[in-house]
Amino acid sequence: MDDLRRIERTADMNDTKISAKGVQVFYGETHAIKDVSVEIGDKTVTAFIGPSGCGKSTFLRCLNRMNDTIDICRVQGSITMDGQDIYDPRVDPVQLRAKVGMVFQKPNPFPKSIYDNVAYGPKIHGLARTKADLDGIVEASLRRAALWNEVKDRLESPGTGLSGGQQQRLCIARAVATAPEVLLMDEPCSALDPIATAQIEELIDELRQQFSVVIVTHSMQQAARVSQKTAFFHLGHLVEFNDTDQIFTNPQDTRTESYITGRIG
Amino acid sequence: MAINDNHIVASFDRDLESIQATMIKMGGLVEQALSDSAQALRTRDSELAEKVRAGDKIVDDLDLALKSDAARLLALRSPTARDLRLVLAVMEISSHLERCGDYAKNIAKRTKAMAGAGAITGTLADLARMSAFVESMVNDALDAFIQRDPVKAAEIIDRDVEADQIYNTLFRSFLTHMMEDHKNIAVGMHLHFIAKNIERVGDHATGIAEQTIYAVTGKLPEDDRPKHDRTAFELQKSDL
Repeated sequence: MDDLRRIERTADMNDTKISAKGVQVFYGETHAIKDVSVEIGDKTVTAFIGPSGCGKSTFLRCLNRMNDTIDICRVQGSITMDGQDIYDPRVDPVQLRAKVGMVFQKPNPFPKSIYDNVAYGPKIHGLARTKADLDGIVEASLRRAALWNEVKDRLESPGTGLSGGQQQRLCIARAVATAPEVLLMDEPCSALDPIATAQIEELIDELRQQFSVVIVTHSMQQAARVSQKTAFFHLGHLVEFNDTDQIFTNPQDTRTESYITGRIG
Repeated sequence: MAINDNHIVASFDRDLESIQATMIKMGGLVEQALSDSAQALRTRDSELAEKVRAGDKIVDDLDLALKSDAARLLALRSPTARDLRLVLAVMEISSHLERCGDYAKNIAKRTKAMAGAGAITGTLADLARMSAFVESMVNDALDAFIQRDPVKAAEIIDRDVEADQIYNTLFRSFLTHMMEDHKNIAVGMHLHFIAKNIERVGDHATGIAEQTIYAVTGKLPEDDRPKHDRTAFELQKSDL
């Protein structure tokens, strides 16, 4: 069964990028994440799937400390990136989020020009010394997000004037502009049409050459198409974490099977 | 958040049941065709043989209908996990049954061709016994599938050894008769092909059993069963 596609899918999954151990998340009294341990591979697309309210987005947001912004949210357990504890008090969450970029469900470009949307991150993180440097980063990021050819002649137009799919790719360009090592995507395609979705999926496959990508999706077919590893969450538990083709052809847990075959309600 | 046996989308269940129903219908027709072809051979009944030959068209049509329903199901429902394995297995089993139907048809054709010719003494009873044996393999293989019983399916795979052994015995018997008297060659060749056809049905029953194991466990059995059809090496030994 070791066809080429399979080799391609598993080839670069040797290193662990992010390691979570015994993670618990509480929103006030609500126990949202219950003892989740998972290893996110480098240069791998990992998909989180599960019914609404299962904790997949909450867990994703732990990976770049987005939950810090919610007062009643408490995170326990350990999450390390390249062996370093990201919840260590000495870690600056802003610096962390430059390394762990995020793309959201609804495209949310800044009300600025296309150029400034992408240039914003590199500017505040001091990644460019000269205007030429910055121009280079903007172009490279837009190219990486497969948007350059569509916008190169109107970089000064507002980002909000682009189509939904283009806006989402602009947000991806903005996320990759700070040279992140991990890209978190929370339902990045749910507001897009099938063509824009396919473009983003193709982009995800390109991006995993350089980054570790973690994607939360309600579309199981999307998880099957883009990811090499899949994690199934249910009621705050990580039920099953395995190779994507294994999850979709022969899952080991009956809850996973019930969910992906459409028998859980 | 209950875990159910049925799909949230009920029509998905109906589609899955529908292709299985077609498969079971094919199975019934194929078993009947095997049993009729054996009887036609034993009793030299050309009329019954003709009925078997004509009836194969229905099995072929059902196979095509099943494949088209399965393609639609794959396209529209995107089945996963056990649903996916079920659809893949049913498609494979349908192909196995279709081939079994072809073998019954071929036996019937040869039965008609041999009408009026003398038989080789003793072998018709052995052929009938072998035919009944593989027919029961097909029947039990389909039962194992319906019951989702991989243990029962594994037993059928083991039983194929016996079908191979009966075939080996018959092969030697036909060879001896043909060597003794060249007038036996025409009938001997037909009877040998009939025996080979029946032996192949046993292989397809094994294939059905393997698909059952795949559908239930997600793994195909390792292909390490010993081959008991030794006739491929027979010529060197008998030194014609």
